[in-house]
Amino acid sequence: MSINENFAHYSNLFIALALVAYAAAFFAYCGEWAFGTSSRFGKSVEALDAEGKKVAKVGKQAAAPKAESVNATDGGNGVTVLTRAVAEDEEPTIAGDNLRAEILGRFAVMATFIGFGFHFAGVLFRGLAAHRVPWANMYEFSCAASLAMSFAYLTLLVLRKKVRWMGLPVTAIVLMTLGLAYTVLYTDAEELVPALHSYWLYIHVTAAVISTGAFGVATVATALYLLKSSNEEGSLRRFNSAFDRLPSSVALDRTAYRVIAFIFPLWTFAIMAGAVWAEKAWGRYWGWDPKETWSFIVWVVYAAYLHARATHGWKGKAAAYVALAAFACVLFNYFGVNTLLTGKHSYAGL
Amino acid sequence: MSEQTAQDAASDGAVDDVLLEDAVEAAAAERAEKLSTAPKADDGIAVPSLGALGMLRWTWRQLTSMRIALVLLFLLSLAAIPGSILPQQSIDPSKVLTFFQSHKTWAPILDKFQLFNVFESVWFEAIYGLLFISLIGCIVPRSWAHFKAMRANPPAAPRNLKRLPVHASFSTTADADEVLALAAKRLKDRRFKTVRGSDRSGGWVSSEKGFLRETGNLLFHLSLIGILAGVALGHFFGFKGAVLVTEGTGFSDTVTSYDSLTLGPGVGAQDLPNFSFVLNKFSATYQTSGDQFAQPRTFDAYVKFKPSPTSTAQNVDVQVNQPLSINGTNVFLEGHGYSPVVEVKDGKGRVLYDGPSTFLEQDEYFDSSGAIKAPAYTSGGTDLGFQGWFLPDAVIQSGAMPASIFPAAYNPMLILSAFSGNLNMNGGEDQSVYSLDTSAMKQLNVKAKGAAAAAGNALELKVGQTATLPNNLGSITFVGVKQWAQFNIAYDPGQKVVLPSAILAVLGLVGSLGLRRRRVWVRVSEQADGTRLVEVAGLARTEGATPTAEVTQTAQALAAAVRQPAPDGASA
Repeated sequence: MSINENFAHYSNLFIALALVAYAAAFFAYCGEWAFGTSSRFGKSVEALDAEGKKVAKVGKQAAAPKAESVNATDGGNGVTVLTRAVAEDEEPTIAGDNLRAEILGRFAVMATFIGFGFHFAGVLFRGLAAHRVPWANMYEFSCAASLAMSFAYLTLLVLRKKVRWMGLPVTAIVLMTLGLAYTVLYTDAEELVPALHSYWLYIHVTAAVISTGAFGVATVATALYLLKSSNEEGSLRRFNSAFDRLPSSVALDRTAYRVIAFIFPLWTFAIMAGAVWAEKAWGRYWGWDPKETWSFIVWVVYAAYLHARATHGWKGKAAAYVALAAFACVLFNYFGVNTLLTGKHSYAGL
Repeated sequence: MSEQTAQDAASDGAVDDVLLEDAVEAAAAERAEKLSTAPKADDGIAVPSLGALGMLRWTWRQLTSMRIALVLLFLLSLAAIPGSILPQQSIDPSKVLTFFQSHKTWAPILDKFQLFNVFESVWFEAIYGLLFISLIGCIVPRSWAHFKAMRANPPAAPRNLKRLPVHASFSTTADADEVLALAAKRLKDRRFKTVRGSDRSGGWVSSEKGFLRETGNLLFHLSLIGILAGVALGHFFGFKGAVLVTEGTGFSDTVTSYDSLTLGPGVGAQDLPNFSFVLNKFSATYQTSGDQFAQPRTFDAYVKFKPSPTSTAQNVDVQVNQPLSINGTNVFLEGHGYSPVVEVKDGKGRVLYDGPSTFLEQDEYFDSSGAIKAPAYTSGGTDLGFQGWFLPDAVIQSGAMPASIFPAAYNPMLILSAFSGNLNMNGGEDQSVYSLDTSAMKQLNVKAKGAAAAAGNALELKVGQTATLPNNLGSITFVGVKQWAQFNIAYDPGQKVVLPSAILAVLGLVGSLGLRRRRVWVRVSEQADGTRLVEVAGLARTEGATPTAEVTQTAQALAAAVRQPAPDGASA
């Protein structure tokens, strides 16, 4: 089937528009952080500081007593049920009470949604133009993986999860990935090389795209966790006002773990599906091709992270560094293996 | 370590691994202390025998500890890196050879450390061997502990439920037994493992759910052993080979017809299936415009295939993702290229060579290099040899080496240097078919007048053209172009074990990382005013799984179900 040139053209246009919208969102998020003030919690800590009480200095949230939430609900029959639970962390807002920051923040979220809409249309039209899944070369894979990342963030936002703090880093990464794809990795919409003529392209690469995007999200949380926890221990005091508006280090660490625990089985599946495909196309399910080797390395390092979290002396920061190393391997597996090493995973347009 | 702790620790995933870890460490430390010769002199004689056993036990405990498993995981990932950077014997032997030629000092040193065969090297095997021993040493006791835990009852309800992370309560005048029965039924219906009991403060229901988490964890790790076993099985009873077939020629499955063949130790030559096929035609199409100009679009190898010598032949189109399959043996299309057909005659007009010669592609436009060998008509005579390039779509520009501009054979051309002398083909040594041994040959001056200067002293032939060699040595005619296809032929019985194991591994992972293990307790106690206080509390046994909703809903459902008027305002 031939390429639909019109659709291919629309796709490029939508990706360009998505870049503009994401850029607007990125700057608005920046503005929100810049104009915003510390949360009420941070302010009260400062207030305590000012009064000369030493309590707050010790470690802010970490030292604060665990708050309990008490909820009275009607159990029917005129019975009142009292529920007490250890309160989840209070979510600080990035804008604080600053009106300008709040407006910018809302604009940023709106722009992210618009950017996502264009981005989705861009990827969709690419697929329609070529009559296949739109992730068969490095340009398309980058577009799709950043779309997955953007989608993950917005879904959590729609589900009212506490992920507003991810806005800035997520748009930054999406903007970089998409920008790199548009300027450096771009290749026209074309048909596939024979090696990719398989329905496994849908299964294997889709799983890899989603995993890559999600590992990116987990890395954002991990990096922020490391910064936040060192701030809680008293360093980087200059940025206290920004750190106060991030969730607690415990919450950040938990977010990172949950994302990785959720996506690790999918990555395992992506490798497995790749092996099944490799058996079909190349006659062996595993041959230590550079891409296979590095996917294996990524898998082993994330496995090490999951074990590290359960090992005395490795919990917390050490495990977080393992997660960062694992993502470095993800990046090398993508950029390094595709451009520096030669193997069976080299296709048209990288 | 009391039995209760051991059991909990062993069966509880993330959180309790720490307990296990600590316990193992404490035990190891204790043992190490006992082993120390310094403190007690009177132990002197007993130490060696105890020591050996103790050391062994200590080593075993270390090896099966999570910490060592972690170190081994890191080592495994590091060890795999050189395998992706250096050329590997098992993937591309020709690249290893090239590396040896260009790194004369370093290559032998790297080779000593088996760095050109990383994945079969002693050290790589040692790492994953230890990792699997560590895994087995960890998983077997844990499986046993988990089995016991699944059969055991959940522990008695804690005395003070208010200290748990989530706690709900209400007052009722209903009978304690009735509430407890309702609670037990509700939890059981929700597939909690439930037990009832009572103590000084009143009756309680204790329940636990999420055992599948640990089951999944164990299943995953056991499946890894299954994968390893399948890989070993495949190596032992499988074989893989490669064969290059030119259009019009065929292949029959005997040892000699393979270009390369690796048989597992459990397979003999007699076990090879006796199918055969002939490559009728190979066809390839390419992108003709745009960014991806010259990228391949389709490959079809049309073969006439006979499953056994007696069966009738059938025509099959073998494509990259569509292997030919016969009783578990698969034939895969792996590569392709050109074989120019030439006829070489000697000075007396006798045909020395007539047929296709395999040329190997060197770039994306299929500029291919190779050699044509024409031994003398009578032994001792003058051999003729040619080596050079085949260009499928040649363009000649003045001042530049002729080059191909497209991979399809639109304008094929041969550019050959000619040699005469002795090809050394009877030397007994294996010769490459892709290059000439020119040590006993002399290059002929064959430069044609109109030829591109940059091509040097070489013949330029288009299809149908003949060049006469100087000194009445003979002639060469470019008859036509054929294509060749390379097939991989593989049989791997281990797949039947590897695939199910891998599927179980993923399922196990989903259970192990996706399920939550938690306990819920219900306690009914008498209050001073004659009513009864019903408390429901929960505890996560895995990270971040506090069953807040479950506890609240249980309390609400119980409150609604007991249907007894109660004074408002519970005294929680």
